[in-house]
Amino acid sequence: MVIDVMSKNPTKPANGGQRKTKESTGTRVFGVVNTTFLVLLCVGMLYPFITVLAQSFSSAGAINAGQVSFWPVGFNLDTYSAVMQNDTFWRNYGNTVLYTVVGTTIAMVLTTTYAYVLSKKHLKGRKALIGIAVFTMFFNGGLVPNYVLISSLGMKNTMWALVLPGAISIFNLLVMKSFFENLPKDLEEAAQIDGLGWYGIFGRIVLPLSKAVIATMVLFYSVQFWNDWFAAFLYLDKSELFPVTLFVRNLIAGASTTTSEGAAATGSTTALVSTNIQAVTMILTVIPILCIYPFVQRYFVSGIMLGSVKG
Amino acid sequence: MSEVFGQTPVRVSRRGIFGASIAASSVLALASCSDDGGEEVDVDELSKGAMDDFAADSQFKATEPFSLSLLWTEWPELPITDSWQFFTEIEKRTNVKLETTIIPFSDAVEKRSLLISAGDAPMVIPIIYTGDENSFVSSGAILPISDYVEHMPHFQKYVEEWDLGDMIDNLKQADGKYYMLPGLQEVSVPVFTLIIRKDVFETVGGGIPETWDEMREALVKIKAEYPDSYPLADGFEAMSMLNYAAHAFGAQAGWGFGTGMMDDGSGKLQYTAVSAEYKEMVEFFRGLVADGLVDTDSLTAADDGSGGGSVTEKFANELVFAASGSNGTASDFAVALNETVGEGNYEVLQIAPPGGPAGMVCEPRNFWNGFMLNSEITESENFLATLQFLDWIYYNPEARELLRWGVLDETYTKDADGKITLNPEFRLDAFNINPDGETDIQKDLGWSNSVFADSTESRALKESYNTPTFVEYIDSVLATRTPRDPNPPAPLDELELEQAALLSTPIKDTVDTNTLRFIMGERDIAEWDDYVAELESQGLADYISLINGARDRFEEENS
Repeated sequence: MVIDVMSKNPTKPANGGQRKTKESTGTRVFGVVNTTFLVLLCVGMLYPFITVLAQSFSSAGAINAGQVSFWPVGFNLDTYSAVMQNDTFWRNYGNTVLYTVVGTTIAMVLTTTYAYVLSKKHLKGRKALIGIAVFTMFFNGGLVPNYVLISSLGMKNTMWALVLPGAISIFNLLVMKSFFENLPKDLEEAAQIDGLGWYGIFGRIVLPLSKAVIATMVLFYSVQFWNDWFAAFLYLDKSELFPVTLFVRNLIAGASTTTSEGAAATGSTTALVSTNIQAVTMILTVIPILCIYPFVQRYFVSGIMLGSVKG
Repeated sequence: MSEVFGQTPVRVSRRGIFGASIAASSVLALASCSDDGGEEVDVDELSKGAMDDFAADSQFKATEPFSLSLLWTEWPELPITDSWQFFTEIEKRTNVKLETTIIPFSDAVEKRSLLISAGDAPMVIPIIYTGDENSFVSSGAILPISDYVEHMPHFQKYVEEWDLGDMIDNLKQADGKYYMLPGLQEVSVPVFTLIIRKDVFETVGGGIPETWDEMREALVKIKAEYPDSYPLADGFEAMSMLNYAAHAFGAQAGWGFGTGMMDDGSGKLQYTAVSAEYKEMVEFFRGLVADGLVDTDSLTAADDGSGGGSVTEKFANELVFAASGSNGTASDFAVALNETVGEGNYEVLQIAPPGGPAGMVCEPRNFWNGFMLNSEITESENFLATLQFLDWIYYNPEARELLRWGVLDETYTKDADGKITLNPEFRLDAFNINPDGETDIQKDLGWSNSVFADSTESRALKESYNTPTFVEYIDSVLATRTPRDPNPPAPLDELELEQAALLSTPIKDTVDTNTLRFIMGERDIAEWDDYVAELESQGLADYISLINGARDRFEEENS
C-alpha cells in the first residue's frame, strides 16, 4: 500500500474536474514519513548484519582499531579460507543440516497429524488432548529433571535428544489446528462419499490444500532446529556431535568471556578468537537459513494469517 | 581467599541469570539427594592399581591400568582430538586412560553445575578456581579432599616448600575441610594491571610511574600534550582498576572486593568500603576524573569481557595512554596500534601496579585453577591410584613440564641451566614460539592445553614460555612489590552463607553504585557519612558481626 500511495503523485486534473480523493499534503507527508521510517528501520536491522559481513572480509587489526563499519578494510579472503579449512566447523555444520532435516521431518509429521486430529470437533477426548498440549506451554519439568529424564531414556549423546523433545511446538500446533478447522467441511464429506478413509482424506485432500501453512511450519521448525544450541549444549558431551550453533557460540561467547574469567590470564594459552574469524563463522552459519526465506516467503504471510481469522 | 580469584566480574546478564537458574535448580535437586558425605573411607581397601612406594618427586605408574573420567572444557580454538600425543603419552607413562566428557568453554560453568547436580559428573572436575566449589559443598556431591591429602606427597611437599600453608587454610569450609585442590604457584603476580604506552610515558610523562602520585603527574603531562585525550581508562567497568589500585591504598575494591571483609590488623575483619583507606582511594580517583584525566565513558560502558572494544580503539587512536588489562590485552592493543600508529612507532608495556599510601604492595599471592573430585570416587576400587595419579599430574615438576612442553628430547630440550628450548620442527602458536615449526605442540599434540597445563607452576616453568616482556613484568613485580597477606579465614556454614548473601548483596550494590558516583563526581564527597549511614541501615553491622562470629569460631576450632 505504501508504495502505491507513493507512486501516485497527485496530478492536477486535466479539466479542472473532480479532484482525486484526498491525496493531499497529509497523505504525502504520511507517505514520506512512513517510507523514511521504514527505510531507517530496515537500515537499523541490516546494519549489524552488514557490519559483520564487512568484518568477515577485513583484517583483524582494522577491526580492533574500529575502522570497519560498512565496507571491509584491509580486504582479504584469508579468514574465509582459514575457517573453511576447519574440520570441526564442517563436521558440526553437517550435524546441523542432519539435525535440521530429521528434526523438521519428524516435527512436521507429528504436528500435522496431531493438529488434524484436534481439528475434528466430534473427536472424543479432544479437549483432553488439547489440554495436554497446552499444559506444556505453561509448565515444564525444569532443567535438571529434564536432563535426568533424557539421560535415563538413553538419548544423551544422540541426535534424538535434540529432535524429539522439541518435535511439537504448541504454537505451531495451534496455528495448524485452526487452519484445518477452517477448511471447508464439504470437501472432506465429498471425499468421504467418494470412498476415501480418514488417512486418504488427510493425505490426498487436506495436505495438498495446506501447502501455505505447511511451508510456513517447515520454515518455523527448520529455523528452530537450525538455531538451537541449548539442547545440544545440555545433552551432548562429544564435540563431534555438536551442531554448528554450539561451535559458533563457543567461538563468540567463549571469546568474550575469556579475559574476564581470568583464563587468558597466564599468558595467551587461550588465544582470543579474533573478530574476523567470528564474523566469517557467523556469516557461513547464517547463509543457508537466510536463503530459505525468499523461497518460502510467498507462502509465509498467507500461511501465518490463514489460521488466525475464523469465519 | 576467594577474593583473590574474584576476577570474574559480577554482572547481571542473560548468562548470569541462566547460571543462577541452574544453580537454583541444582540446590533443589541436590536437597533431596544430599547425604552427609562426611564418612571417611578406608583408602587402603580401594587401592587397586596404586603404587606402594609412591613418594614425592617419583613417577606415578599404576600397577594395573585403569580409566578415569574427566571433564574437559573445549576452547573454540583448540578442538580436542583423541589422537593427541597428550593422551597416549599420559597413558604410556601412568597406565591411566583419560575418558573425557566435553563441554564447550562458552558455557562451561553452567554445564558443570548441571552435570554435578544431575549426578552425572565425571570423577575429575578440573579448572576449578577457589570459591567455585562452595555451592556444591553442602550437597555432598564433592569429595572433601582434605581428608585424603596425606596420600598426595607432591602436594604436601610443594605447599611446604613454596610456603602456601596459610593460603591452604583459607580454602577451608565451615566444617574445617576443603573440597578442592588448587594449582600451586611458586610465585604469583597480578594478572591484570596497567598497560601503558611506554614511549609516550617516557617522552611526555616523565618516565614509568611507580606510585599513583607519579601516575597522576604523568597523566597531567600527557593530557597537556594531547588535550583531546582522557589518558587513563578501564574497560572493565572500573572493576579491574579499583582491584589493583585498592591494595596500594590499603583497601579492597573492584574484582578483589570479595566479601568486602578485610584484615583490620588485629586478626579481626572490618568492612573495607567504609574504611578511611577506601575513602582515600575514592578521593584520589575522583580527583583524576575532575581533572579530565580519566576516560569516564570506559568506566560506565558495559564490559564485553575483552576490556571494552572501545578502549582498544581509543588506545589505538591515542585518546587513551594507560588502561587496565592483562598480557593478552597488551597484544590486542599492539595489533590495533599497528594499524594506526604503525609498527615500530610505539611501545606497549604492562607495568607493576603502582604503589600508594599503603606502600609498594600488591594483591595477596594466589592460587591458580585446580580440581575437585566427584564424591562417588570413594566407591571406586582405584580411589587411591586416582589420588596418586592426580597428585603426580598436578604437582610433580616433571609432569608439569611434560604438560607444558611435551616429551623431553622429543619436542623440547633442556640445557644444564634448565633453559628449555622447543625443537625447531615444533611450534607453539599460543605463545608465538618457533612460528616456523611444522607441528604445533598445542593444537596438534595437546600439550599446553588449558585444562591441565596452566595449573601448578614453578617460577622457572612460568618463565620458560612467557615472552621476555612478561618475564620482565613478573620480575619487576616480584622485585619491587610486596604481596599483601591473605585475610584471616572466616568460613561460613550453610545457613550463614545464605544469610550473608542476603545481607551483603544489597550492601555491595550500594557500595558499587556509590563508589562510581563518588569517583565520577556525581555525588558530593561531603556526603560520605550519609553513604556510610545508608550501608548501616541496610544491615552492615549484622553482616560484620556474622563474619566476625565465623572468624572467632574458626579461630577457636583451629587453635
